[in-house]
Amino acid sequence: MRRLTYIDAIIEGIAEEMRRDPDVFLIGQDIGRFGGSLQGTKGLWEEFGPSRIYEAPIAESAMAGCGIGAALMGLRPMVEISFGEFLPTVMSQLVCHAASIHYGTAGVAHVPLVIRTRVGIGPYRGHPQCYESWFQHVPGLKVVMPYWPADAKGLIKAAIRDENPVLFFEHMFLYRGIRGEVPDGDHLVPIGRADIKRPGRDVTIAATGWMVLKALVAADLLAREGIEAEVVDLRTLAPLDVETLCASVRRTGRLVVVHEAWKVGGIGAEIAATVAEEAFEDLEAPIVRVGTPHVPIPSNETLRKVVIPDTPGIIAAVHQTLGRLSSG
Amino acid sequence: MTESFLDRREHLFYHWFVRLSDYGCNVGVLASFAVDKRPSWGGKPFEMMTPEIHRELYRLMVLSRLVDRACCELSVHWFPSEGEEAVLVGSFYGLRPDDVIAPHYRGPFIAFYMRGAALDRLLASPLGKATSYTRGRAPAHCGPPHFNIIPWVSGDLGPIISIAAGTALACRYKQSDRVTVHTIGEGTTNRGDFHEALTLAGLWKLPVVYVVQNNQYAISLHISEFMPCKEITDRAAGYGMPGVAVDGNDVAAVFETVQEAVARARQGLGPTLIEARTYRLRGHWAGDPAAYRPPEEVEAWRAQDPVVRCQQALLASGALTPEDDKALWAAAEEEVAEALAKAKAAPDLGTPDAGLNEVYA
Ligand SMILES: Cc1ncc(C[n+]2csc(CCOP(=O)(O)OP(=O)(O)O)c2C)c(N)n1
Ligand SMILES: [Mg+2]
Repeated sequence: MRRLTYIDAIIEGIAEEMRRDPDVFLIGQDIGRFGGSLQGTKGLWEEFGPSRIYEAPIAESAMAGCGIGAALMGLRPMVEISFGEFLPTVMSQLVCHAASIHYGTAGVAHVPLVIRTRVGIGPYRGHPQCYESWFQHVPGLKVVMPYWPADAKGLIKAAIRDENPVLFFEHMFLYRGIRGEVPDGDHLVPIGRADIKRPGRDVTIAATGWMVLKALVAADLLAREGIEAEVVDLRTLAPLDVETLCASVRRTGRLVVVHEAWKVGGIGAEIAATVAEEAFEDLEAPIVRVGTPHVPIPSNETLRKVVIPDTPGIIAAVHQTLGRLSSG
Repeated sequence: MTESFLDRREHLFYHWFVRLSDYGCNVGVLASFAVDKRPSWGGKPFEMMTPEIHRELYRLMVLSRLVDRACCELSVHWFPSEGEEAVLVGSFYGLRPDDVIAPHYRGPFIAFYMRGAALDRLLASPLGKATSYTRGRAPAHCGPPHFNIIPWVSGDLGPIISIAAGTALACRYKQSDRVTVHTIGEGTTNRGDFHEALTLAGLWKLPVVYVVQNNQYAISLHISEFMPCKEITDRAAGYGMPGVAVDGNDVAAVFETVQEAVARARQGLGPTLIEARTYRLRGHWAGDPAAYRPPEEVEAWRAQDPVVRCQQALLASGALTPEDDKALWAAAEEEVAEALAKAKAAPDLGTPDAGLNEVYA
């Protein structure tokens, strides 16, 4: 076990896979000598060089298309879209093609492609918009959003080995914002499995990415009031781990869903609807969703603090499900 | 319509010669299929035109036309390719089975057939039969990947251009000399995807050949209404690749031009943009009366029918006798009729074909 930052864990995962499988290669902007946006590919160029690392021009749609083509031929490309805000440039490629190729060819072809990207507010001031829930809507795509360094490493390795197109969302605040123990050896985390980061009996808080950290802080504060919250880190948005979520709700009887993306049409809406369908009789209170209000995420830091969900907001949501007034 | 194709062709090959020299290729003589000795490219020789090949190209064009007419009868939504056969056949003939192809959505069946796809299974697609390669899950223009065909599972125009760059990149990554050939509608070349894909292909010198199947229409719009540059090949310079125009109703010329570009790509000399100018003789879809264009224009182009032109060339050279020709048509008609009967006899699509658990690999 070593303690690694989130980004070091991700880079280590990529490097291990590149060493293991010569068919793994990267396409992205400034991922070579420069070391990647936010130094997100640091060291890979030095080890693997230009035959494995394709420095691309600003042509995201073609980068993604190239990744699909290479994946169809049996390679394992990882296409880096520097920031999640640029994902709209690759929509046709991913949504109309990558997602549907296995199904549309009746299983003859498939697309083992990883799209890696950065989202959320963080030390880097730009590009905070979170579009991840658009992709969980599309059949055929897998959507991964880790919070903990060990999960980040295990999931990026699993994404590279997956036979399907996987979107891998890295949270910019977490890059060097947390450090955690990462198991030694070939550490893999299965895609499609949520993880209970903190057990509790009174309420389930399901969260994604950076919001898991906020939910854990909220849970600690709630414990002082005698409320034991169970924090479920979704880790994967698609396919959603309905089983773990519903099992948790059956134990606690209450659910709060937290994400940084907009509340309207966010993954929380899907989770709330699914839990209502699957475990309604176990719910003791209405589900509460916490997400960014329906405004574009503002550029200015002060304004962002106004809109992005925070710990007091999560605590208030928990109080709401428990029928208590929040002292907030 | 008064343009002489012969004049045009000479001019075009001049273009080819000059441009290729710019890119470090030694083309000794101007290419023309009447010339026996082909310029040496310093690598593997490309296939030369012979009477046998010419006859086979003709047979494939005849087959393509008959299949297309059958499909038009099966469905008013079929996109007819009549008049464009020289591009459909010439672009994909002579490739190795391990080369990768991605035909334009208009008239792709003949390319699939040339790769080894079964005609009855292709016809099963417009018929809605369970034997179709995609089991009814993708449009008919989605080719079977078994034969190194890029699947086109969606109805959107554009993304395949960069997916074709990706298959080319993969072949180079594996240090093979496999080549990708992709045909694109001229209307589709206005998509941003075209710009991005050709930028990557040119920058990375990928072994891909782009053939623009210029039938001069994008649904109802004539090319003069949507193309800001004079020639599509003018665009090639911006991507650091040669742009070559060819008479798209001359199957031999298309075949040879594509093969030269393929040879170039195989040698690691990078991509080529070819424009094959042809004409869509029928509507955008089988049921489209195409009232938006003058009948004289259609008539003028019907006089340039690529199937008839090839037939006349073969008859004139003696490579084909009128009796051979009759037999060739009869055999093609029989082949289509048999395939159609087999396709019709196949089971209809049903619930299991919906493949609710086959979304993920
Ligand atoms: C992205 C996209 N935009 C528009 C369409 C609708 N559409 C289908 S065919 C077509 C014309 C295409 O013209 P061209 O590329 O020249 O091919 P052609 O039909 O002439 O063979 C259009 C506009 C589409 N399928 N995809
Ligand atoms: Mg057209």
